[in-house]
Amino acid sequence: MSNHTTADRIAMYVGGGLVVLGTVGIGFLEMLLGSPHPVSGEGQIVHDALVPLELRSYIILAGFLVWGVYAIYMVATGGHIPGTTQRDIRAGQVE
Amino acid sequence: MATSDITNVRARMLGQDVAFSVSQPWLAYWLVVMRLVGGWWLLHAGLDKIVNWPFDAAWFVGGAAQGTSLGPVLALFSSGAGLAFTNVAVPIGQVLIGLGLVFGALTRTAAFFGALMMVFFYFVNGETGGWAHGVVTGELLGILIFGMIATLGAGRVLGVDSYLQNTEFVENHPRLRYLIG
Repeated sequence: MSNHTTADRIAMYVGGGLVVLGTVGIGFLEMLLGSPHPVSGEGQIVHDALVPLELRSYIILAGFLVWGVYAIYMVATGGHIPGTTQRDIRAGQVE
Repeated sequence: MATSDITNVRARMLGQDVAFSVSQPWLAYWLVVMRLVGGWWLLHAGLDKIVNWPFDAAWFVGGAAQGTSLGPVLALFSSGAGLAFTNVAVPIGQVLIGLGLVFGALTRTAAFFGALMMVFFYFVNGETGGWAHGVVTGELLGILIFGMIATLGAGRVLGVDSYLQNTEFVENHPRLRYLIG
């Protein structure tokens, strides 16, 4: 059974949470509560976002930052990265 | 499929015990496919710039990026030495990342820098019109694929890293396992 460190939890839940919030969560809100998307005379869809695009950007970016910092932290501290803390079995080797 | 081809994954997520079976051959297979296709994506992008040299990123770092979330960062590379560095680093970086992924060499390092590069493309291209049909674009999926390649250490499947990890040098310097895999 897995044994998550605090760093693992932060990366998984904060990092992943921010990315999913920015993409799926806000996307769903925009569909439900966002303004309609009228088509202009030029055929261009006019989209007034419920959540400012810049804010949405920063939320997703923050998620990526958490993931990136986690990766660097793991390398720097020699923490556990899946598949690296023990030697793999060699091809053809019986477990 | 033989029972021995199945491995059980057990984890704890969001306070729940998670357990599921995975086909080992198919897991290995998809890791290689993701590596090859994702690697070729960046290898092609880099080689294309080199074949059509000179490459000038000014339109991107000094133009398109301005006013976007990452504009302040990219502005540092929009002129002078910063731009000169970018004009070389982007094509060479893309080729190296692509080669690393295609051949499974220093895979985690390559995937990390691939994702980093893709973050810049994702936000700048997205905020300047690429998100007109939603924020899930090829660049975002690229970031996720590179993340998956790094997390699962896809280079150990039919890649140079499967050889590197068993070398005496790596065994004497375990920290290197974080850069290969």
